Amino acid sequence: MFSYVFMKILEMRPRSYDRRMDKVSKGRVRAVKEAVAREIPEGSLVLEIGCGTGELATMLVERHCIVEGFDLSPSMVESAKERIEMDNLKDRFRVVEMGVDGMDGLPKNHFDAVVSTLVFSELSDDERRFALKHAARVLKSGGLIVIADEVVPKTAVRRVIHSIIRLPLVAVTYFATKHSTRPIADLTGAIRGAGFRIEKEERSHGDSFAMVVATKKEDGTMVA
Amino acid sequence: MSFLKTFWGLLFRLFPCPTKTGLRRIGSPGPESPVLVTCNFDLTVKRLTKILRGLNIWLLVADSKGINVWCAAGGEELNSHSVVSIVKTSEIAAKVNHRTLILPPLGASGINAADVKSQTGWKIKWGPVRAKDIPRFIEDNFKSDVNMKRVTYDLKERLDTALGSLFPFYLVGGIGFLLFARHLLMGYLVSGAIAFVVYFSLCPWIPGKNGFRKAIFLDVILVGILITTESFFGREDNVFRVYLIFAMIIIPLYGLELGGMASTMPSDLDPFLARLGIGRIGNVAFAGTIRTELLNGQRELSYKRELCKGCKSCAEICPQGVWNMDDSKRAVLDHREACTACRACLVQCEEGAIQAPKVKA
Repeated sequence: MFSYVFMKILEMRPRSYDRRMDKVSKGRVRAVKEAVAREIPEGSLVLEIGCGTGELATMLVERHCIVEGFDLSPSMVESAKERIEMDNLKDRFRVVEMGVDGMDGLPKNHFDAVVSTLVFSELSDDERRFALKHAARVLKSGGLIVIADEVVPKTAVRRVIHSIIRLPLVAVTYFATKHSTRPIADLTGAIRGAGFRIEKEERSHGDSFAMVVATKKEDGTMVA
Repeated sequence: MSFLKTFWGLLFRLFPCPTKTGLRRIGSPGPESPVLVTCNFDLTVKRLTKILRGLNIWLLVADSKGINVWCAAGGEELNSHSVVSIVKTSEIAAKVNHRTLILPPLGASGINAADVKSQTGWKIKWGPVRAKDIPRFIEDNFKSDVNMKRVTYDLKERLDTALGSLFPFYLVGGIGFLLFARHLLMGYLVSGAIAFVVYFSLCPWIPGKNGFRKAIFLDVILVGILITTESFFGREDNVFRVYLIFAMIIIPLYGLELGGMASTMPSDLDPFLARLGIGRIGNVAFAGTIRTELLNGQRELSYKRELCKGCKSCAEICPQGVWNMDDSKRAVLDHREACTACRACLVQCEEGAIQAPKVKA
């Protein structure tokens, strides 16, 4: 599951991004998105942080959800819009070009669920904190957040193995794109810290990948 | 670790060296203290923190992918979004009463001041080019004089920049000789180091309009020295021979890579590679971008005076003094020849008065 390191290279060609990402990850990235989609109740109003070309959004639409997505990359947004046009999704999936810093402009208590895959590992600590704070704000009481991303393994041995395998892949990616991702040290802790109740944490791929499912607490401890 | 990062930042500046982004306190800043923005290149933040010691400042370290301000802005790693993001996600607004951001002017190639203003509501002031002028800039109520806006490259800056850019190549060469031609290693190391100091110390005064021609001029002198020493010592006994020949090869490489250095930064190597049809090596582009096309002569800076509304942005941020303001408060393209294609004026001009159209063949 180290292939997501190459994500930034594949992003250079948004049209073939999903197909290539699927190929290099041997279908695992798609599987992660399917797992995230399965967590979302049918018919939900969903916010997707960093929706890319809209692969996950399309899966959610198949589950009768309405998805509002945003992405910082203009080419990804362009590609998502082409998908909306081609698959006639415009009543079910909307996308805007925006970073997480724009989340303060979203309405509060509005969404049933917030999802994000392979985005938080690209954010700075401040951006992550900001995104989680506003995810909590925009969710309805009891709303669901599902985040799947690259994380730092828990044991020292695994951390070392992870770094050794990852380093050359990061170097290649950086050489090609000037970008890289950063595994998250404590994803679950960060989500909990933003006032969510953790429902489930699934770690996989040599403990280097995690999917965290959490709910917004009913008591309204969220920061407004 | 911190020492290693400083060392890396000093000698391997071609590679990123990130430090943590976010809000940092310098001294004991309060609600009225200035808010400065910089990149997240480790060495920059360290040097800045040292220079600002004694002042009370909020420092926002924005994400520039671990690259220094000028390079990151040129490559658009430091952009409007980096600044908007750090202003909003650091929540600095809750800590100060004012709404004025001081941005590094060499970031103007990547950060669009109008975009940042419209997305954050903060007013933008461009600070001085060199960190050491920041205390005076703050004291003078956020005003820079002409010298504080220009990139000059004095001796220390020349050596610092050249060392950061060239050391990896020097090292690779050294390893090559160590492995395959150890008897030449000493000659390479000594000549490389001496040629480095001589070339970059003297380069503003060496005749030649670009780095490569300056290097050729030095090579001609070296050939003269070689012939003279050969005639004194005889070819076999000339101990200087290997050093001189190495210097003759190395100096044009220095000249080719770093151009004139004195006041013009663009490398002569980029247009040269573009002419050879090499448009890109890894993540570095030599062709196909506005900057490279300006440098390669495929585009030209153009100015439509009738569109200028006199915002002074171009004159504020041009590190070369290409733009000035005339008596009717409109911009004048005064020193086209000094332009180094940093694109800062193109990015900042809201009115479209400054453009870089393709030159018709």
